[in-house]
Amino acid sequence: MIDRPQIPLALIKAMLSADAAKAAHRLARAKDVLLGPLNTEIGATPYERVYQEDRVSLKHYRPQGTPRIKTPLLLAHALFNRETLLDLQPDRSVVLNLLREGVEVYLVDWGSPTRKDRFLTLDDHLNGYLHNMVEFICRRHCLPKVNLMGVCLGGTFGVIYAALYPEKVKNLITTVAPTHFDIDQGLLHIWMKEIDADRLVDTFGNLPGNLLNITFLLMNPARLMFDKYVGFLENMDNREFVENFIRMEKWIFDSPDVPGETLRQVLKDLYQQNLLIQGKMELGGRRVDLSRVDMPLLNIYGQYDHLVPPESCQLLTSKVGSRDTEDICLDTGHVGIYVSSRFQKELIPRMAGWLLARDG
Amino acid sequence: MDQNHLSANPTEPLLAAWIKWTMDFWESMADMGPGPQEAAGGAEDFSHAALKMWQAFFSLLTEPETVAAVFKGINPPSEIIMKMAQAGWTGYFHLHQQWLEGGAGVEEPYPEAYGFENLDQDIFKICSEIYEQDFRQLLNLPQVGLTRLSQERANRAMDRFSQFQGAMAEFIYLLYLPLKKSLREMQRPETGGEEPEEFKDYYRRWLKLLEGHYMTLFKSPEYTGTLSHTLNALEDFTLAKQELLAKSLEALPIPSDRDMDEVYRELYLLKRQVRELTRQLAQVAPPPDYPEDA
Repeated sequence: MIDRPQIPLALIKAMLSADAAKAAHRLARAKDVLLGPLNTEIGATPYERVYQEDRVSLKHYRPQGTPRIKTPLLLAHALFNRETLLDLQPDRSVVLNLLREGVEVYLVDWGSPTRKDRFLTLDDHLNGYLHNMVEFICRRHCLPKVNLMGVCLGGTFGVIYAALYPEKVKNLITTVAPTHFDIDQGLLHIWMKEIDADRLVDTFGNLPGNLLNITFLLMNPARLMFDKYVGFLENMDNREFVENFIRMEKWIFDSPDVPGETLRQVLKDLYQQNLLIQGKMELGGRRVDLSRVDMPLLNIYGQYDHLVPPESCQLLTSKVGSRDTEDICLDTGHVGIYVSSRFQKELIPRMAGWLLARDG
Repeated sequence: MDQNHLSANPTEPLLAAWIKWTMDFWESMADMGPGPQEAAGGAEDFSHAALKMWQAFFSLLTEPETVAAVFKGINPPSEIIMKMAQAGWTGYFHLHQQWLEGGAGVEEPYPEAYGFENLDQDIFKICSEIYEQDFRQLLNLPQVGLTRLSQERANRAMDRFSQFQGAMAEFIYLLYLPLKKSLREMQRPETGGEEPEEFKDYYRRWLKLLEGHYMTLFKSPEYTGTLSHTLNALEDFTLAKQELLAKSLEALPIPSDRDMDEVYRELYLLKRQVRELTRQLAQVAPPPDYPEDA
């Protein structure tokens, strides 16, 4: 016979009765917080939109005073999430902290693809939009090169771009950027191998953002669908906590649709055939040769990243042509680098210092 | 039981067989519990009394006279209705039979930690088989006449929808398994340590278990296979639905997705051509000044 369940009912009852008064008080205060004015704005650092091509645009952030580093930094985010991650909350904004370090920042806004964008390829995004933005910044500052920093798949795009146009990139920074896809650690890497890319793209045209949202939730349902909201209930009387929680919710469930043809190539060439790290990938009729990445490279990744595990990032520095490379492995997860005040305090000055040392 | 042997009323043998199965099942379940001599209170006596009443009621139902009386006076339904009803009944009978067989066995008290090798997904296989054998064939009946194509499209969409629902149910069941396993595991006394005194510690222990179970599941071939199957079913349903909608909206003066895709493709190719020509032109005669904003 099955043993009688031993759920600690007595423990739960004792906890409930002990916490009842505390909970009632918390609820009363939470009511004031939730019904009162909340500042949940994301992407609040002032900027100017200086370039627009189709749906893609470029945000320009000007540092106060003269920039310490004369070469501006172009930030490229992935197509799967919004760039607002880099400016999520005022006290933990990558963009704002870079400005404080005297770095002039440009941020790519990939916009919201619609059905008409379904035929846009990776070639259009990199040889087209990204290259045009780099050219625009170079002309604007009368400089031959820019500093390029890529986030997640935006970092992968950065590596590809740097291999195709080494003459345009002065320094390259990749953060949690997957470049080696044939691994069995990350769930995304495992699942994507099973996906029929052609069937997916032919059916949906663009990959719906909500399908992406669900996929990200399924990476860790215990934390993302349960514990996170338990934490919210425990802290909903704390205005600052609530504001930051809502900011993160706004960002995390705002995945744009992904242009179909671009997705097809990302899935097939990167996740399924792992062509990039082998130097076999082709874009716009040209081979993406990593030995052409000869500029200084700073490669940053998270030790506990469940989306892009370290194994997917750390091979890059040994495959590029540059001799000035550095790997930084932080004890955090995928977005910890961008939203943790601790890492921003440590990392942003280090990045600015690294760029400054190579700005000559 | 010979299900092909049909009497004057085709549902009679099935009904009788189902009743017999149910009685046997509850009898065996009752035998598994504590006997009357072991019963400490009145609850067990009551359950035995209820079982006796249940048996008596079913015995009465299985008598041919009762069955004949039940069906007496009911006009014979049309053949197609009977066929559909029989399909449904057969499916239900099959499902019930499987459930009884599963229920009679005793589940292992505690699950093996972080193991998802032998998943009990038979129920979905059975449902799928029932659908394939008894219902899908009705949706695949050859259509004739003027509305043949429309009917075929509607049937196809319904078929794909049913298949997607089946796949989705299996997928959700898989997602539920770690929850079930972690809760059952929490019933096991902590080995080599003390039971948590604080509820929060208990919660944290459960969350850790749950997270571990999910990670193991997500890396298992069963999960990736089911995920892939569900996605394929969703894609099939989406295509069938789009086809049905597009045809239904043809009467309205609005372009379909296919029309728009053709326009978008042409626009895309034209833009690419214009960009390439502009680039070539710029190489021949560079523009005198670059604009600040493109």
